[in-house]
Amino acid sequence: MSGLGENFPRVDGPAKLRGWAQFTADVEMPGMVYAKVLRSSYPHARLTRVDGSQAKKLPGVVAVLTRDDLKGMNAYFGPVVKDQPVVALDRVRYVGDIIAAVAAEEKDIAEEALELIAVDYEPLAAVFDPAQAMKPGAPILHTESARSETRLDRAQFRFEKNSNVLSVYHAEQGDVAVGFKAADEIFEDVYSSQKIQHGHIEPHAALAYWEPGGKLVIYTSTQNPSSIRAQLAELFDLPQSKVRVIVPYVGGGYGGKVHPRLEPLTAALARQAHRPVQWVLTREEVFLTAHCHASVVKIKTGVTRDGTIVARQVEGIYDTGAYALTGPSTTKNGGEVAGGPYRIAHQDLTTYCVYTNTPPTGPYRGFGVPQVCWAYESQMDDIARRLGIDPLALRLKNLVQEGDMFVTGDKLVSVGIADCLKGAAEAVGWKGKEEQRSREPSGKARGKGLAVMIKTTMTPSNSAALVRLNADGSAVLLTSSVEIGQGTQTSLAQIVAQELGISPERVSVTFPDTDVTPFDQSTSSSRTVFTMGGAARQAAEQVRRQLLEIGANVLEADVEDLELVEGNMQVKGAPEKKKSISQLFQARYGAAVGSMAASYDNQTSGGVDPRTGKGKASAFFFLSACAAEVEVDTETGKVTIERVVSAVDAGKAVNPRQCHMQNEGSMIMSLGSALFEEMVFDNGQPINSTFLEYMPPSMEDHPRRFESVLVETPHPEGPFGAKGVGEAALGPVEPAIGNAVANALGGLRLRDLPLRPDRVVAGLRLVNGESV
Amino acid sequence: MKIEIHTVVNGRELDAAVKPNQTLLEWLRDDLQLRGSKEGCGVGVCGSCTVLVDGRAVSSCLMLASNAEGKDVRTIEGLAQGDELDPVQRAFLEQQAFQCGYCTSGMIMATKALLSSNPQPTEDEARDYLSGNICRCGTYKEVLAAIKSLAEKSPEGT
Repeated sequence: MSGLGENFPRVDGPAKLRGWAQFTADVEMPGMVYAKVLRSSYPHARLTRVDGSQAKKLPGVVAVLTRDDLKGMNAYFGPVVKDQPVVALDRVRYVGDIIAAVAAEEKDIAEEALELIAVDYEPLAAVFDPAQAMKPGAPILHTESARSETRLDRAQFRFEKNSNVLSVYHAEQGDVAVGFKAADEIFEDVYSSQKIQHGHIEPHAALAYWEPGGKLVIYTSTQNPSSIRAQLAELFDLPQSKVRVIVPYVGGGYGGKVHPRLEPLTAALARQAHRPVQWVLTREEVFLTAHCHASVVKIKTGVTRDGTIVARQVEGIYDTGAYALTGPSTTKNGGEVAGGPYRIAHQDLTTYCVYTNTPPTGPYRGFGVPQVCWAYESQMDDIARRLGIDPLALRLKNLVQEGDMFVTGDKLVSVGIADCLKGAAEAVGWKGKEEQRSREPSGKARGKGLAVMIKTTMTPSNSAALVRLNADGSAVLLTSSVEIGQGTQTSLAQIVAQELGISPERVSVTFPDTDVTPFDQSTSSSRTVFTMGGAARQAAEQVRRQLLEIGANVLEADVEDLELVEGNMQVKGAPEKKKSISQLFQARYGAAVGSMAASYDNQTSGGVDPRTGKGKASAFFFLSACAAEVEVDTETGKVTIERVVSAVDAGKAVNPRQCHMQNEGSMIMSLGSALFEEMVFDNGQPINSTFLEYMPPSMEDHPRRFESVLVETPHPEGPFGAKGVGEAALGPVEPAIGNAVANALGGLRLRDLPLRPDRVVAGLRLVNGESV
Repeated sequence: MKIEIHTVVNGRELDAAVKPNQTLLEWLRDDLQLRGSKEGCGVGVCGSCTVLVDGRAVSSCLMLASNAEGKDVRTIEGLAQGDELDPVQRAFLEQQAFQCGYCTSGMIMATKALLSSNPQPTEDEARDYLSGNICRCGTYKEVLAAIKSLAEKSPEGT
């Protein structure tokens, strides 16, 4: 009845199927005007003049905002370091950096006004490659001290000064020199991954207005209203109680809507316009606003002949673009797990977060982990091939196990990774060592590949929930978790319903409104079910206790002998002795009115010491595996995914169908980045910023055989044992496909993503001794 | 300057004045407040703005509102009859063929157009027809299942 662990239908279905569901760009306010922005056409330049006076004169223009209009507010924002100005001050740092904004009665007028803003640039040397940006003499993007002010988990980062290297993560275990000495074979390779756009079909959007009296109200398409509130409060020197952030349905995020993007400028423009201002990005602007960190990962691994990994050294460079956003967190996240989900006595892991003159990045589904997973899991298959060991057996031999101490110092619990790997291998029909048999690649070649992944979640972090039980036995969950498509309103309703012994149909889950709903750190890091679900469960548990005490009096029974079933309190073993929830209210208050409420702040503790990279890196770990089967056309280099299977340890699947759909979404996203998705630049100029040139996977790319497997290894701290699943399936897909391609082509290893046809063909020509 | 048009939207006859550069999508959303159709890419490739014009699936971000003169336009808001969902909506609900919901209106309208011209599409035909409707949440498997269930229920079914 309560539906926990069952496929309870999504509560947002009826609204979404009728086109009734409201997204930010659908919200309208009386007197609303429209924003458009002027963007830099240079990748790096000093701004010698920004003059908006002519634009202001255009009829229909309500406000023009340039660097001269930031009086009475702070200029910089950012979730980890404050390095991003609301509009450019002294210089621009990427093609698309915002120089000025206009609010006008009509969008056309705003566009026209942009052309009247005079800007003089003095071009500066720019740097686009993160490895180049780390070298002495490279043009420095951020010299000023603006990035000193920080927030969030600042204490966890090792920052660099006066360099394009913003932060470094480093952790060691044992002594890699000793480990490599003990190794029979050493593998040393360099892998790279590309810039990928999130591609949420809903572009970023925001609508801001100021109430007379000085309160700022903003509707926005964000994944974390509480962070938006905090940062807007700091920008405008307001108490957080005077900033109200409301989040309607969000049309996909995948990390691209974490932390402020449009909100600071929309609020500043609304302040200037004295009118509600709506700003909705075009698709091309979305490409200039966020993307996934490109990476270069050097990996050196020592193994003994029996297949034991004895030492691993990883150095990863993450291209964070022109502004930090969550770059230091992403980079740390990648570094913590750069050695993979393996027991390795000697490890040396380093990752660098580096500025370049390219659009800012921020979180992307997988948060820094797919980059290192691509490297260690591709190399793992090369190791298996050289040692003549089945890649499945090699992994199983080295995998972390329940209770292991991880390189970060965390004790691993709820470790279902071997079951994930075995499940995926079985589903793809894995035949062992023969999958790597040598063959002459010709015609259409087939191969299978495997990969595994481990990932941390944001730690420490905080989620608060408030549960209100009404006298009729229905309940409301007040939460700032965002419905971004993952089904959070449904799974949270199931958790509350389970605890209160009522049907999820009787539970309503709010949309975030920071005036009303409690703090939540973020709808990201696949943390909502674990952290917010934990808060909701605890709050509901407290309400249940209040009810039990009333029930004990009314039913003259011990609290321990009572249970809540289908909206009634009954004596265990004597279900005829029961009272409905409204009868309990009646007994307690003399009338079946009012409500009982309780709130709970769920704080996960931990964090790492920036000097050692160790501590408690994660409240729980994501563990997953992928198996893929591909067909490669050796003439054209085209890779076709015949079959892909993802297996994820969900802890406990609160709503299995939703878990499967998260896995499926992860798989489709990463088969796009495995095979063709790639943001291309020419000297900093974006080349393919529309869906005509950059196409996310469509139904035609959807593999014929496509399967998600759920493993359930309950986590002691998760609600009903649940962990998160939103990103878990993503990481291992790229290397599983890469390994399948290698196995199809007799061991041809391609180390740069995506696996474009031209790269496959070039690789085959090299193998055949032809010139490329 | 405005252009006078006479058109039918969701069964309602309208005389309207539209701007010459206004797209059908802008007119539906801004003037008629029919906001179920969404802009995703603005260049007619993502499909989230798909509506039916004289029964055919059209990217409303590419069509000028003035070209709706004399046409019959149907949007997601015009599918259900009161509490009665359209069979396509019902199939999407049953198969849970949506996640964030932003592409859903367009996906449903495209499915509607597919089934009206081909009530029993094969999986390949469905994939081909809907390849212009992008779902970044990756809900393709469920959409294909919804179409399959509709094809099986079709009166022309064998």
